[in-house]
Parts: sequence; structure tokens; C-alpha cells
Amino acid sequence: MTSIGTGYDLSNSVFSPDGRNFQVEYAVKAVENGGTSIGIRCKDGVVLAVEKVITSKLLKPGANKRIATIDRHMGAVSSGLVPDGRHFVSRAREEASSWRKVYKSPISTSDLASRMGGYLQAYTLYSSVRPFGITAIVAGWDSEVETPVDAQVGNGPSIGSGGKAEGKKYGGPGLYMIEPSGIYWGYYGAATGKGRQTAKAELEKLDLAAGTLSLEDGVKEAARIIYVAHDDNKDKEFELEMTWISNLEGPTKGRHQEVPKELLEEAERLAKKALEGDDDDEETTDKPEDKMEE
Amino acid sequence: MNHLPQAWGRPRDDVYGPYDASYLQSSHGPNQHTQSPIVTGTSVIALKFKDGVVIAADNLASYGSLARFTDVKRLRKFADSTVVGFGGDVSDMQYLDRLLISLDTEEAYSSSGHTLNAKNLHTYLAKVFYKRRSDFNPLWNQVLVAGLDGEKKPFLASADLLGTTFTSPSLATGFGAHLAQPLLRKVAPDEEAAAKLTREQAIEAVKESMKVLFYRDARSLDKYSIAVVTKDGIDLKEDEQLEKQSWAFAEGIRGYGTQVN
Amino acid sequence: MEFGTSGMLNEDGIHVDMDRLKKGEVNLGTSIMAITFKDGVILGADSRTTTGAYIANRVTDKLTQVHDTIWCCRSGSAADTQAVADIVQYQLAMYGTMNGKPPTTQTAAAMFQELCYENKDRLSAGLIIAGWDERHGGQVYSIPAGGSLHKQAYSIGGSGSTYIYGYCDANWKEGMEESQAVDFVKGALQEAIKWDGSSGGVIRMVVLTKKGANRHLYLPDSDYKIRHQ
Repeated sequence: MTSIGTGYDLSNSVFSPDGRNFQVEYAVKAVENGGTSIGIRCKDGVVLAVEKVITSKLLKPGANKRIATIDRHMGAVSSGLVPDGRHFVSRAREEASSWRKVYKSPISTSDLASRMGGYLQAYTLYSSVRPFGITAIVAGWDSEVETPVDAQVGNGPSIGSGGKAEGKKYGGPGLYMIEPSGIYWGYYGAATGKGRQTAKAELEKLDLAAGTLSLEDGVKEAARIIYVAHDDNKDKEFELEMTWISNLEGPTKGRHQEVPKELLEEAERLAKKALEGDDDDEETTDKPEDKMEE
Repeated sequence: MNHLPQAWGRPRDDVYGPYDASYLQSSHGPNQHTQSPIVTGTSVIALKFKDGVVIAADNLASYGSLARFTDVKRLRKFADSTVVGFGGDVSDMQYLDRLLISLDTEEAYSSSGHTLNAKNLHTYLAKVFYKRRSDFNPLWNQVLVAGLDGEKKPFLASADLLGTTFTSPSLATGFGAHLAQPLLRKVAPDEEAAAKLTREQAIEAVKESMKVLFYRDARSLDKYSIAVVTKDGIDLKEDEQLEKQSWAFAEGIRGYGTQVN
Repeated sequence: MEFGTSGMLNEDGIHVDMDRLKKGEVNLGTSIMAITFKDGVILGADSRTTTGAYIANRVTDKLTQVHDTIWCCRSGSAADTQAVADIVQYQLAMYGTMNGKPPTTQTAAAMFQELCYENKDRLSAGLIIAGWDERHGGQVYSIPAGGSLHKQAYSIGGSGSTYIYGYCDANWKEGMEESQAVDFVKGALQEAIKWDGSSGGVIRMVVLTKKGANRHLYLPDSDYKIRHQ
């Protein structure tokens, strides 16, 4: 890398003469080594999935979860340095609960992404800290119906309130990805970590912008994509971890929960089957390595 | 000697003369908090039966003697497995309800699948009440917690503004402690008797008690909420109307003693 | 009036707000109300402010704007309710600019409640929050002394309100047209002013719909018949 030896990469909050913050770029490198995380925004919910690389056979299977609940209706997963991910989650939980304390209603996915974007960005400004070595994917379901104030008593008119603007829709699925620089965007499908390029290619094939993919199909696609993306990393064993948030009528009733065991196993079975099919035609093709070193 | 806490550690008046209060940082002596409920709910009553607990409270929030709000639901669900019935101050009820929402959210942080049962919740609430009364800033409520304990057995217990707790096969707060409790005890004098009660018998006894409370509690309403908590979940009805009231006997009552017409 | 020390409500239980006033404090004796109707909400109030039996202000405006289409009716201590309204007005302005969208009525109600509940020992405030927003239409929330929050179809408050519980319950209809709703508010406040010595002066109203805020003014010398604003 050109940065090496110039000294401009040694301190956070110092630009190089061509306007780069090398500490942020190195943080991105840490992300690129992490297990693949993805999120899919479906018409009736959102799915999060992560390839949890097993670092030791002495670890209990299924323990040490990597996807966390931020608030009842929201979850997050990250790729990169696991402790940084934990701190991200802890801060996100604080943001969500302080929002509730002030506004007595749940924070929207976009507002949480905005707050966390601001938080991560602050870690690029000071020489006393380093940027977050993670890229996080935040998924949530914002209520599509009018929700009462937390602990509301009383109901208002039985015919409902008058004077609403006609024909507007509110709430729905939210999916955001926040990078070490603090930048964040809303996505139809998001991927980060080692297998992100393969995963992104697969996500693009799903035409998620059409908003037709169902949540249950989304779960199956998510499992398949994690398996496909893992193909580059075949020598390491991994566990698939998945959570979802459905709309209020759906299986999770707007809450962030683990995908039930039966569905997870079914999705994994289908993923493995799809992979075997793939292997037949492209067993010997060399995967392009995404090297960026010089 | 003056034994009042305000005088502790201060120079004695009989030796040094009275203390000049104008030197105090605050002119009103020790910190004081509001110590009276304002918008209030009346009784909550509950009864155990063989598979669970029935709990009820009316939908009124009073402002003194004024029937101020007639659509206040005082039975609050927690984690789809426990019902808390609130008597006393409504603003403190809302505070506690939000506290329970945050508790439920924090429980969901770990995906162990473990949820707090009614017994856990009662312990928690009792500690909150006791902490606040020890700060001389009590939460002005008496609550009944209805649900199941760790062994999935019916659980019913009370906690109040002082942090006092107790449990019994039937419980009632406020006016209900005087009027409904004797009726419920007749149906279930002890745990063995309660364990023989059917769901229908328990609901019947609770509805009958709500009726008596409406007859005799001047801060009550004939619209009420009733919940049945069992292993299968919570069946909560929030817009019930008291039925089969008895008033027609008024016709036979004339004058106040000897009058016949 | 002195603070009571018994910790009990007065027997009639109604004049809690007044008894909570500090010595010599200006009291919004008051009749206030807010109602939902077909296109939004209407707030209404009398204009009398008293210190004891003396009318300190006969043309008070008790209808206070805290955001474009979120307003409140104030009763209790004038100083306390102005302070609370000023804080919420600031918070809502911050919310609007920081989140790039206007706050909803329940956001405002939640902020009012937090202040009234957490400072219940120091405040004497009885507030009605009424507002219109795109998503929820017109909504009315009541925050009585003590700081509980109640969603209502319509709400009445202040000392004068006790005289019109019957009138309002008998004449209330859901989903009224604007003119009908204005008449309901006016009729109710006229009764309150008639029977409550602590209420009087002009009737002020604010109509909140998707078109924004629209003020009404009715004067006693024309028997509240002619709209002056």
C-alpha cells in the first residue's frame, strides 16, 4: 500500500495529502476478513443472516450469538471485529431505549441508522480513538398501523381520528448498512464481510427492488447466499445464524426473533442442495480473488 | 430536646438560640415529594383456579369523587404470560407499565428463550416499590400479579406502595379487600379448594364480586376488564359490562320505617 | 391558600388544581376543552385569569401553539403551564429540524407527560394537548394533575369543566362537521362561563386541520354569536 512508510496512516483524524483517512481504510480491511453478513428486505419482513466461522471445536454449537436484538422490533449483525460489534450493539440499545424514554414510542429503523452513523463517524475524528472495525447491518420493522403511545390509556373516538391524509402508507421493512467511516445507506439487500462480493451478486439476481419476495422465501435465499458466499472459504467450518422480523400479521408479529429451528434447518437443507447443483457445473473455475494489496 | 430529624446534628436551641433558617440553602426544609395519588383506579380482584388465575378491574379512573376517565384499562399484559392489575395512581401505573416494557425488551436481548414468569415479575415489582418508598417517593399503587410460577402452577400475589407483599388463593385491593375478599374466600378458602375450582366457577365468582363492588364502591364503574391466565396464554377482555344486576327490589322499599305507601 | 398537609384530596375532589397553587400565584381558573371532529381538532377556552377573586387578566389566551398544528390548552398555574409549554415548544422545534419531519401529536403528548410526571411535586398543571398530523389526523390527549396521559375523543378541563360534564356527554357526537363542532365547543364553554365564577370573558378557539391553524374569537357583549376573528 502507498500509505506504508508515509506516516499518514499512523494517526486517526489525520488526512493524507490526497485526502484519505488511512485508519478508516484499514478498518475496512478488518471488515473484509470477517464472516459474511447479509440482510434482505422482503415485502412482509426483513431477514438477517451471518456466516459464523467456527474458531475452535471446543466452542459450544449455537452459543455466542452474533445477531443481536436492539429493540423489540429491530436487530443488527456485523462483520469484522466481534468486540467492536458488541459495542455497536450496546450503543444501539442505549439509543433505542433513550428514544423510547423521550418519545414513548419505538425508534424507526432510519432514525436508529442515523444515530449510529453519527456515532461511528465520531470515531474517525479523534486521535485518541480508532474507527470501528465493523460494518453493521441493521434491520427493523416500523409499524404499518397507528401505534399507541407506550402505556397509553384511553382510545379516542370509536370511528378513528378524522382528517388523515388520504392514500399514504407508513412503516414497513427497514434495512441499513453502516460502515466504519460512519457512512450509511438504506438497502434492498445488504452484504458485508469476506463473501460480500459473491453475496451481492446473488442479492442482485433477486430483484428485491420489485418488493415481491416473501419473508419465508427471503429466509431460504439468505441461507443459500451465505452457503454460496462461504464457498470461497471452504476450508473453514461455519454455523449459519438467522433472525427475522415480520409484519404485524406475520409469524413474529413485528418483533425481532431467531428464525425457528425447523425453518432454519429446511433453509439449510435447500441451500446445501442448491450448492451441490452448482458444484457440478463450475467445480474447476477459479474464483477471482479480490486482492487490493500492492 | 427536639427529636425531629430536622434538628439532628444542629446546635441546641436552649443553648444557642433558635437556628436562623434564612441560612438554609432551601427555605422549605427537607426534600418533599408529592405524597398523594390524584387520578386513581379503585379495586383489583383475582382468584386462582385449577389451571390458572382470573383477574378483574373496572375501567374507571377517578379524580377525587369525579368519574373523570371511563375507558382506562388497568389490567396490563406482560410477555403474553402474566397480567398485572393496577389499583391506585394512574400516572404511576403508566410509569410502571413503561418500566415493564423496557424490562421485556431487555429480556429479549438474550435469545435464550427464557421469559420472566409471574413470580419473577412480582419479585421485581415488589423491589421497585420498596426502593421508591425508601426514597420517600413511593409509587402510589397496589398491584396484583397473576400468572404462572416456575413450575407452571397458578401464581397470584400482591405488592403495594410500601413494598409489602403477600400471596393467597384469592386477593383483592382497595375496597375489594373489604367487600370482595370475603366472597372469594368463601369460594376458595385455601389452596386445596382453589385447585379444585374450574375456570367457569372462578370467572363466575369474580364477576359476582365485581357486581357487589359496583353496588357498594362509590368510585367504581359497571364497565370492566377481566383476564384469565393459563398455560395456554392470556384471554383478556377489556370492554365487559356488568350483567344481571339486581335493582327491582327497590319497588318494595317505601319510606324508612313505618310508611306503607 | 396554604398547602394542605393531610395528604388527602378535598372532599369534593375537584379543586385539587387550585389547592396546589403556591401563595399568591396566578391561577387560570379556567374552562378549557378540545374535541376531535371530521377533519381534525378544535381547541377552545375562556379568557379569565384570577388571583383569588380578582380578575388579573380578562382577555387571556390559554390556547398555546407548540408546533405548526400541535397546540395545547393550559389550566392550573399560569407560570407553570407557560414554562412547560415553552420547553415542549423548543423540543418540538428541535425534533422537526433534526428529523426532517414534523412531530406527531403523540410525540408532543409524550413530552408534555414526561415533564408533568417527573415534576409532579412542583407543578400545578392541567393540560389538554390537541393536534393534527398527516398520519394520525386529529387527536386529543389529556394530562391532568399528577401527570397521567389519556387519549380521548374530546376532553374538558379546568374548574369550569365540572359544570358541563352533563352538557358535553349529552350533546357529543363523533365525526361532526366543522360548523357543528364549533357550535358544540361554543355551547359548552358558554355554560361553563355562566356557572363558574373563575371562568369568563371571551371564547377563543383554534381549528386544526390539514389546512393549518385557524383562530376564532367570540365576545360576550354580542352573546358569543358573531365571529370576530
